[in-house]
Amino acid sequence: MRAFETRGAVAVATLDDEERAVIARIVADVGQLLDGDAFAAPAGDDDPEGSARGEADDVFRSLAGLQEPLAEPSDPAVRRVLPSASRDDREVADEFRRLTEGDLRTLKVDRLRTMWEQLSEDGDEWEVSLDEALATASALTDVRLVLAARLGLETDDDAERLHAEIDLATHAMDTDAHEDLGVDPERVWLGMLYQALTWLQESLLQCLMTGEEEQDV
Amino acid sequence: MSTEEQVEREGAVATRLDDAWVTIVWNDPVNLMSYVTHVFQTYFTLTRDEAEAKMREVHERGRAVMSTGGRERMEVDVQAMHGYGLWATLQRSGE
Repeated sequence: MRAFETRGAVAVATLDDEERAVIARIVADVGQLLDGDAFAAPAGDDDPEGSARGEADDVFRSLAGLQEPLAEPSDPAVRRVLPSASRDDREVADEFRRLTEGDLRTLKVDRLRTMWEQLSEDGDEWEVSLDEALATASALTDVRLVLAARLGLETDDDAERLHAEIDLATHAMDTDAHEDLGVDPERVWLGMLYQALTWLQESLLQCLMTGEEEQDV
Repeated sequence: MSTEEQVEREGAVATRLDDAWVTIVWNDPVNLMSYVTHVFQTYFTLTRDEAEAKMREVHERGRAVMSTGGRERMEVDVQAMHGYGLWATLQRSGE
């Protein structure tokens, strides 16, 4: 995987087939969370997510909560993506949700679908025009919010702890250590996916901000 | 409740209807500093320095007031922030 780099008016990242398939899959899962099964139902028999799908299935089983009906406000992942507009005033929160939730879901689902379609194309390069980079960065945020909810990341300290766990686990893999680290492998896998998306998003932001600085000069 | 208290309470409610509202953005462990800065710069039309200062306020103090105005206007701003995946709330100014 290579992070986004600017090439003219386009940001380009390089992902191999498996990386693309895994990311396309989590994007589709978040789309389904917000839009039900209508999301990512391609016409025909093509399986754009490729052969890594089988392997990924096991891992994504832990995300079973994602398949719950969309009108499930009790799901903490939905609450992260469509949060309450008031901490303590029910009337304000309910009114806001009534007025905005439909539009917000549509906005987010459309962005996720665009990203999923890009990831489902053939080839190693993921191209995002700088005009669309903020929308893509926002879609990546929604995916990361859902993963963060599944990983229980509520505070900056939780995020630090996750990074430490992953460092420990990858070090153990590198050194072929077999002792039980007390780290849940599924959690490590999801955490690594979260980190990879964070890294991609950060690189996309750098392309976007550098592009705008150059425009200003 | 005495009549005097009742009148005072109604007076307070009447004044509050005219109060300004605020949009508050809250810290979260997910959103990147660069992303939050960029969103603030784009949506609230701030300079890079102003946007960075607001982002730091959110990160270090846990929250920042991003805009002030009528309730409907604040609902628009909060909706925009939620669109970007930032956690924003609205409330009456001074609460």
